[in-house]
Amino acid sequence: MAVSFDYVVKETAANLWRNRVMALAAVLTVAVSLSLVGTALLLRQVVNRQIGQWSNNVSLQIFMNANATPQQLSEVKVLISQEPQITKCTYLNHQASYLQAKQVLSGEQTAFQALTPAITPTLFRCQLQNANDAPAVASIFAGAPGVYGGQAQYPQKSIRTMQRITNILQVVLLVIAIVLLISSLVLILNAIRMAIFARRREVSVMKLVGATNWFIRIPFILEGLVQGLIGAIVAAGVVLLSNIGVNYLVRHYLSSSTIPVSQLIVTEVVVVLIGVVVGVLGSIIAVRRFLDV
Amino acid sequence: MIRIDNVTKSYIAGIDALSGLSLEIDRGEFVFLVGASGSGKTTFLKLLLREETPDAGSIWVAGRDIGRLAPARIPYLRRNLGCVFQDFRLLPNKTVAENVAFALEVIGQSRAVIQTQVTQVLDLVGLGQKMDRRPHELSGGEQQRVAIARAFVNRPLVLLADEPTGNLDPATSSGIMKLLERINKTGTTVLMATHDVGIVDEMRRRVIQLEHGHLVRDQARGIYGDASETQSRSVSSITVGTVPLDEDAELDLMPHRPVRARRGHR
Repeated sequence: MAVSFDYVVKETAANLWRNRVMALAAVLTVAVSLSLVGTALLLRQVVNRQIGQWSNNVSLQIFMNANATPQQLSEVKVLISQEPQITKCTYLNHQASYLQAKQVLSGEQTAFQALTPAITPTLFRCQLQNANDAPAVASIFAGAPGVYGGQAQYPQKSIRTMQRITNILQVVLLVIAIVLLISSLVLILNAIRMAIFARRREVSVMKLVGATNWFIRIPFILEGLVQGLIGAIVAAGVVLLSNIGVNYLVRHYLSSSTIPVSQLIVTEVVVVLIGVVVGVLGSIIAVRRFLDV
Repeated sequence: MIRIDNVTKSYIAGIDALSGLSLEIDRGEFVFLVGASGSGKTTFLKLLLREETPDAGSIWVAGRDIGRLAPARIPYLRRNLGCVFQDFRLLPNKTVAENVAFALEVIGQSRAVIQTQVTQVLDLVGLGQKMDRRPHELSGGEQQRVAIARAFVNRPLVLLADEPTGNLDPATSSGIMKLLERINKTGTTVLMATHDVGIVDEMRRRVIQLEHGHLVRDQARGIYGDASETQSRSVSSITVGTVPLDEDAELDLMPHRPVRARRGHR
């Protein structure tokens, strides 16, 4: 295909400039929607890492009444040692338990102030071979004397709740992002349509003197690609910023490590690729529908 | 150069824009196409350009059946057919030289070729001094010269002109006709659709007259109005295969590099 590089660059730039308001609208929509997509992807990674962390560290907690007798404690210890599913168990005495409570309740000063080391329940923190067996293992401790609330606690339930909430959040974010992506596709399509209309004289002369179809089409398709790409690059910047926010969140409030650079790069590449695809797709549809070559 | 074989074309069912048209135009001929509005002149030109396809019959341009041309080859057909219109169709935001250069640019010619060809053809049409003007700064006649330069810059085998003098006064028109004659002398076949009685009568070239899509006259040295039958070519004597096709003027329909085209012709 004898399409000269000079010509294509010149034509594409001229088109974009002539059509700058429409192009800007398309670029911004792409940027917003891809920012959402990228952020949703980051969020997913953080939540997955955090959930993984939690399920590995703690599978079962057995709180003991603050006034539990040493005999009751040793009975529970026996139960623990008899259960093959439990791989590791640490006992937190009043002081250690109080310190942990201080951490957990840091947001609720009034609740914490009512607490003293003496009345804080002590607890056994245990790890299981398989975190999913938590309910079955927990049932062993049901009704055991001295166990706080009469049963062992396992975070699986709250993890599941959290998973459900983040899943819903992700679906909502993705739906919004998809709607925005479709609208950016339509905006790019429309921008290219206007460009084709603005250049209908040139196009008719090109057809007349025997320019090949692809020679006529390529500058328009490239225009859509550039719009998608610019939007995607802006979105990639936004994703980078939100990654900083996510890292802050992780460091201060969560126990998992921050998202590794490799995963961040993958996310950015995905964002840029989606932008390019949306741009090219929008312009190809426009060219096929409105450029009668 | 051009052979039309029993071609029928209708846009609306039952009304033929062209019906059973057969004729032949040799290389280097200068032919006027006359007839009232709606007689099928423009359809004829569109068929030659493959902007339309015939419903029946076949059209041969330089040994190629263009009705059977793959859509991807159409641009290469058009590179062999220069086109001039009544309304010039110049690009208003480009200078004279740029307008002409555009025709070469979009078929992928190199910059050096474009430069020499454009200068040459603008000298030929007498606008060598006005290369940097824009179309709106030129008179109608000058604009038509630019259009002719653009059509001819690629040295097409055939120059198609659809009422090229329709918007021009008689004096300017005769200048344009002199230019077309000059182009014709280089060996380029010229086919000109016109309503201009004066021009046709003065030039005394072959005249093809259409009426309601039928060929009603094909006269070797004709005038615009109806003429004595003595000079008429016998329409019926032109039959398929009696006139050899131009072997030395093969259409260059092969691109220099392979071109992909994915969409069919609508």
